[in-house]
Amino acid sequence: MSALRITVNGREHVLSAPPETTLLALLREHLGLTGAKLGCDVGDCGACTVLVDGQAVNACLMLAAQADGRSVLTIEGLATPDGLHPLQEAFERHAALQCGFCGPGAILSAKALLDANPAPTGAEIRDALAGNLCRCTGYTKMITAVHAAAQALRGAGAEMPPLGLTASPSIPLPGGEKGGGLS
Amino acid sequence: MVLDISRAADMRGIAATADGLRIGALVTHSELVRSPLVREFAPVLAEAARTIGAVQTRNLGTLGGNLATGVPSMDSGPALLALEARVTVAGPRGTRTLALGDFFVGPRRTALATDELLVDVVVPAASLGKPASFLKFGLRKGQALALVNVAAAVRVDPDRRAFVAPRIALGAVAPTVIRAPQAEAFLEGRPPTSEAMAEAGRIAATEARPISDFRASADYRRELVSVLARRALAAACARAQGAQ
Amino acid sequence: MSDRRTVTEDPALRESLSGLEASARLPATLPPAQFPIETLVPEVRQQTPAVGQRATRPDARLHGLGQTKYIDDLALPGMLHARIKRAGIAAARIVRIDTRAAEAMPGVMAVVTGRDVPVNSFGPSLQDQPVLADERVYHAGDGVAAVAAATDAIAAEALERIVVEYAPLPAVLDPFEAMREDAPRVHPPASNVYAHKIIRKGDVERALAEADRVFEGRWTTQMVEHVPIEPHAAIAAWDANGRLTVYSTLGRITLGRADIARTLALPVNRVQVIGTIVGGNFGGKNEISQEPVLALLAKKAGRPVKGVFTRGEEFYASTTRHPFFMDYKTGVGRDGRIRARKVRLVLDGGAYCSWSETTLGKACILATGPYRIEHVQVEAFAVYTNKTVAGAMRGFGAPQVCFAYESQMDEIAAALGIDPLEIRLANAFDEGAASPTGQTLESVVVKASLEQAAARFGWREPRS
Ligand SMILES: Cc1cc2nc3c(=O)[nH]c(=O)nc-3n(C[C@H](O)[C@H](O)[C@H](O)COP(=O)(O)OP(=O)(O)OC[C@H]3O[C@@H](n4cnc5c(N)ncnc54)[C@H](O)[C@@H]3O)c2cc1C
Repeated sequence: MSALRITVNGREHVLSAPPETTLLALLREHLGLTGAKLGCDVGDCGACTVLVDGQAVNACLMLAAQADGRSVLTIEGLATPDGLHPLQEAFERHAALQCGFCGPGAILSAKALLDANPAPTGAEIRDALAGNLCRCTGYTKMITAVHAAAQALRGAGAEMPPLGLTASPSIPLPGGEKGGGLS
Repeated sequence: MVLDISRAADMRGIAATADGLRIGALVTHSELVRSPLVREFAPVLAEAARTIGAVQTRNLGTLGGNLATGVPSMDSGPALLALEARVTVAGPRGTRTLALGDFFVGPRRTALATDELLVDVVVPAASLGKPASFLKFGLRKGQALALVNVAAAVRVDPDRRAFVAPRIALGAVAPTVIRAPQAEAFLEGRPPTSEAMAEAGRIAATEARPISDFRASADYRRELVSVLARRALAAACARAQGAQ
Repeated sequence: MSDRRTVTEDPALRESLSGLEASARLPATLPPAQFPIETLVPEVRQQTPAVGQRATRPDARLHGLGQTKYIDDLALPGMLHARIKRAGIAAARIVRIDTRAAEAMPGVMAVVTGRDVPVNSFGPSLQDQPVLADERVYHAGDGVAAVAAATDAIAAEALERIVVEYAPLPAVLDPFEAMREDAPRVHPPASNVYAHKIIRKGDVERALAEADRVFEGRWTTQMVEHVPIEPHAAIAAWDANGRLTVYSTLGRITLGRADIARTLALPVNRVQVIGTIVGGNFGGKNEISQEPVLALLAKKAGRPVKGVFTRGEEFYASTTRHPFFMDYKTGVGRDGRIRARKVRLVLDGGAYCSWSETTLGKACILATGPYRIEHVQVEAFAVYTNKTVAGAMRGFGAPQVCFAYESQMDEIAAALGIDPLEIRLANAFDEGAASPTGQTLESVVVKASLEQAAARFGWREPRS
């Protein structure tokens, strides 16, 4: 067994785990933090993305022992009792979450990007999200959401937006036209 | 058995030494991309590291791990081979250094004995600042292994208007990452014209020994070598002439 | 601000617990910040004023918080982990399966094979698929045995210790070869052609003979896997009354429930299937796969059992989109009007029928495209091969035929020197048009859509 001292979402844990335990298994099975998902188990899909000392990593490819003495942020540690993180709000508002399975990983990749680069270009966002595969929503909405969150972080924080339908018919289309049904 | 080497301090770090640029085997691809030393003295290595996997892969994956896999499509191999890098290997019988070209033995096979570690990689002083370029062709831009990758490093003698010590390295088209010695010999001393570089690309394609697999056919890969080698040479050459 | 946002310290919780500190211990892991669950409950027959409105998904809140529980995020007390051994050979007779070494492994709690399945066949239309192959292997992704163990790693290791002896049989991998009389039968004695449909309207042969120009071509599409980021996952648990509860990523739980009950020889009312939030389906989770296996393992072990497909299994042991081979013969007037279209479709169905009949039906109806054509003949065949199963995937055959007819449309336009947009406008359905099967179509906006799209990307503007 490996003795580990790991800070997860701001709280320190002293644990022992078999040496082959991955960081993902530690989080999901031992700490009950299931926000990071097992999608492919080989580092391709990014559903298991967490931040270790602020850097995005695939938790399925990292042994828990490698995180000894380090600080891990999972999706569960992103919101505070006061409200959502601007990225969470923006992903929700811009429909960047559909089935939601890739969402936690994509949001954390975006968090690592915005921490290092508060005003990224579209190309930089694409690069930061290249390791987070999504099969439903499409990446365009995620990119819009990251832009919006970056803006919010540079300005004010985010509150809890209302769920559901809101009377704002301004879904922007490429080229700046307004959306609408077929005429 | 799993041995965690991730905290071995003397296998970390990037330093400029009298021998050249010393890069610890545990340096991650992200560290290479960000390193001011690499960007100044061997930017082609940062260019290659930038194309590896995605951010998550680059944050965890190490240069030593990349080389030690011996996978022919590795992206750091061609860049380092074009810069004529050497590697340091340590084990119970002591430490030895060898040319990177001798480190690669076969597909997924290296000169490492089972009880040896790759300690560091040294880009020799003579190659520091040598104008170079790395190009990779994958099935998509992010998170894709190379169908073919090519690195070229050249100097151009401004007086003779001639190539000096051109180096071309090819990945994913042979059992290991390889150099293209005939193409290099063809260019040596020749004026840096686009015709010469195109011909060197064609020669390099004949030196490649690609296989057909589910990613691409051997013919397609050979064609890619000829195009990418020409373009990598042109980019390296432009850098050489821009630096003068 | 960013610090406060990254560290989940719940001061209120701390405060309220501090008085208890002497008598109560904080749990090893405090639950992360949780939010009240708000969802929108639609009212029956309520007309949602959705058009022109901005809608957010009600479930997106918990998705973004990482609070959504997918099947693999659930654990029942004492739950075991299952793995299924895959055949790895396209066609064979199973001579013998020896599971003794696996059963003897510490941590292995149950092993099952096809012999343990009460009714070893299922399928949404034809029941041609074994739960676990027992006598014969039909494709390499067939399961031949399954293990439930204390950990997933032990289960995986136990699979390695199961010995299966195969007598290889000739495999048929090409659908055209499979259609030949002398081809090996995938499911002997049944024919390899397991579904066939023909649609006729007008007199296609005469119209083709009389057409100014006749265009012919073959288009093919490849096999496509859905690749949901969430793999197939399920948990099976029995209660004291012998009732089975299955939590599953299954998209069609009522159909799945009937299939599970049938394979286990249980009355349907003994089976409860719980579907939860699914991490991507796209048609690939529309029928049962491992659920009966997990139920049998759970019964044998006396504990709940969870199974999660590996990414590899997603590719070879789940369904895929049918590869299509599409022959088109189209008779056209010099004016670009299509007079007749004759289509022959061959669907490579892989080893089992799955949703092939639906796919074949839809492909046939849509094969001639959204165009007014007086003389039509469409004939389609779904064919068994010893390959990964083709089944439902978004569009059920519509994307494949669309690729063919639109590709041919471009070829016709180019050959006749007609603008690709104009040739489509000249042929497209109008309101009230009849489909090849005689259905009167309403709300037809093909032309309006084409016009609007053309206007948006400036199709008619001069190109430089
Ligand atoms: C999703 C994904 C995408 C990828 N994309 C690319 C890509 O585009 N291009 C590319 O080149 N690579 C790619 N890779 C491969 C991978 O990133 C590299 O090979 C990586 O550098 C491995 O480093 P590591 O430290 O993780 O090594 P490990 O995976 O830990 O080790 C690899 C092997 O090398 C041995 N080893 C490691 N370090 C040493 C050492 N110092 N001495 C001796 N032996 C050692 C290990 O024992 C093991 O056998 C990808 C990998 C993944 C998972």
